[in-house]
Amino acid sequence: MVTQYGIKLAVSLISAHFGEIVAKVCCCLLQKGTLTLSDITRYTELPSQQAKNCLLVLIQHNCVQAFAIAKEGFGMSTRAITHYSVVYENILHRLRFSKFLTIVSEELDKECEELLEGLLQHGRLTLEQIMLRAMSKQNEGTSVYQDVVRTNFVRLVNLRYVERCPTSEPFLAPNSEEEAPSIGKRGPKSAKLGLSETIEQRAMKAASPSEAKRFLIVTDIGANVTEAKTGASMTNLMLGEKRKHKALETDGSGAATICEKEVLWRVNFEEFVYQLRKKVCASNVRSRLDDGASIILNAMLDATKSEENLKSENTVSLTMDAIFEEVIKSEDGRTMTLDHVRAGLTQLGCHPFIRDGEEYFSVDIKNIIEIAQNEEVESIMLKRYGDDAYRMFRLLSKTGHLVETEKISDMAFVERKTACKILYNLWKDGYLHMEKIISHGSTQYQFLLWKVNKHLIKEQVLDEMCHAVLNLMQRMAYELGKEHEILKLPREKRIGVLGKRFDRIRKVKILLDSSLLKLDDAIMLFSCF
Amino acid sequence: MHSKQERYGDFQGDIKKETSLIDSLIKKSLKFLQDHNLIKEFSHYQNKGKKYFMAVEFEPSAEVTGGAWYSNGSLDMDFIATVKVSCLMCIKQLKVATVEGIAEFFDKTHVFHNKCFSEKIGEIVQTLVLDNEVMEVKSTGMGEYAGIPFGALCYKLVKKQGGVPRVGALTSIPCGVCPRIHECTPDGIISPVTCVYYTKWLDF
Repeated sequence: MVTQYGIKLAVSLISAHFGEIVAKVCCCLLQKGTLTLSDITRYTELPSQQAKNCLLVLIQHNCVQAFAIAKEGFGMSTRAITHYSVVYENILHRLRFSKFLTIVSEELDKECEELLEGLLQHGRLTLEQIMLRAMSKQNEGTSVYQDVVRTNFVRLVNLRYVERCPTSEPFLAPNSEEEAPSIGKRGPKSAKLGLSETIEQRAMKAASPSEAKRFLIVTDIGANVTEAKTGASMTNLMLGEKRKHKALETDGSGAATICEKEVLWRVNFEEFVYQLRKKVCASNVRSRLDDGASIILNAMLDATKSEENLKSENTVSLTMDAIFEEVIKSEDGRTMTLDHVRAGLTQLGCHPFIRDGEEYFSVDIKNIIEIAQNEEVESIMLKRYGDDAYRMFRLLSKTGHLVETEKISDMAFVERKTACKILYNLWKDGYLHMEKIISHGSTQYQFLLWKVNKHLIKEQVLDEMCHAVLNLMQRMAYELGKEHEILKLPREKRIGVLGKRFDRIRKVKILLDSSLLKLDDAIMLFSCF
Repeated sequence: MHSKQERYGDFQGDIKKETSLIDSLIKKSLKFLQDHNLIKEFSHYQNKGKKYFMAVEFEPSAEVTGGAWYSNGSLDMDFIATVKVSCLMCIKQLKVATVEGIAEFFDKTHVFHNKCFSEKIGEIVQTLVLDNEVMEVKSTGMGEYAGIPFGALCYKLVKKQGGVPRVGALTSIPCGVCPRIHECTPDGIISPVTCVYYTKWLDF
């Protein structure tokens, strides 16, 4: 879902990371949709070479996907024209790099975190480049150290945190119907109307490697990357484990060389989003229900992951025994009995269904996400419009259909006049949908009916959040700019007034940083999960 | 007035229509009857401008007065707040309670003078649900639900961290509650750099 302030935020992130010119190209693509290089140069008024370089930077950092479409000209043969489409989500993921690194450092170790950091910094790299980078940092080039890097990299790939890059320029055959790149119509509208997939979606699908290839890795344990670089013959090649047959060894070594030198790797954002979604669901359930329910949910999500349903709305259906087996894998879960698990599943709203004479359970993840989203929106109602508005909004949100003013006022225990005023304010600010019904008879009556339009609210709240993130970033830049000399002060000079100013800016930075992280969590809740 | 619409009262306009008397005469008669304490005046809870009359020995119906939660045509907020607090205390004590259970508890402990009707308690409990003070759960018939039939709708207190409701990410920063957010631009008169709410928030 791309909103007006979402575009501004994306442009501001690109501008902060890559400068104004790249941001100009990115802004052009975000506002106008998919374009060809000549269109980009025309709109941005940049020299062709400069625009091309900007595109290369954006492609390197996975923010743009190129694809070719066959076009027929008048009396000319069919030719392929390259189009460039911006990947909005990947730009916003740049805000979350620290979260991704934390996940890896918690689950794996510091060395894996450093490998991932390199990939995040450079966008896409070959394994050879990754190893050279790691070696330059450690000042260590022994083949033993290289093997450690290789092993860590394989761990990252096996856990799906790193994947092969998509094809740089997939070719799309023209559709039977005339299909133009979806300029200005991005994402949800067309999806919601049930239209066929956009050309960008087709391109992304065509570019992404098959599931089998996506995480396929062949490495040479024991090979020296520096020697390989200088063209020295590689001896002692092994594919993961020692192989007995020489012929196989030679074939494998070829594949491994290609894999190390030619295959580009990038961070798999999808997996990190899945991990963050899991965390959000578990923390929501823990705060709303209890630790037991959270442990069960985590266990079921772990089981779901193995089934490769990263974006599924429900967990996989599991029998009680299978759930219990997953639950006791965690330390906290070992204290639970079957009765606890059954009660926890009821708390989570799992209704068992019978298949082949056995009871199966599955958790509705979409519902948990929706509850978390509602909590965020309701908190806005409470803080901005007060208790009465909060109650009325919750009533309309729960009901889900049109309700008449009088009924709202009766059910929420709010005086009719006050209720009308609040409903009008909420409608004016775009949180409610209103319908007027006039009954014609001897006397004319007018009824006002109100409803919560969840889709519109989601879009509006997301837009406001992007605006708030931009504001936080701007204020942070202003505060740090104002006090940059104070921040550079050596410890011994931080006394008196200067010390107080240092303390203040430190606290300001912590508060702004933590608010930014929290707000980004909320943005993910509304746009990624 | 005695003979019909005993519980709904008569609207002044209807009296005029039925008796075919002139306005001044009707007004005079009504005043005379009121002075002699034979009829009383009251207003509709949804339309306070309309005057209704009724013989003194009758009580207006809930459809006209608004019911137990209304007093003199307006919501009796103090009474509602009292019942809400009582319900919350009852649920806290019982841990999990059905509406009937709460009404029974009130009757047993004589919290209110009159008999408590579960229908009325249900209305209050629903507002507590809307206030996010209590949540609806279905009984499992086991553990804390023992004694409550399986599948019965019951209510328990919402778990709050530190006793305060969870604050959303957006509302925890000034922009989330800013009335001028739509006029805020990076270089405008209202901007995050010059924002007074931010200055106050970051005042350490």
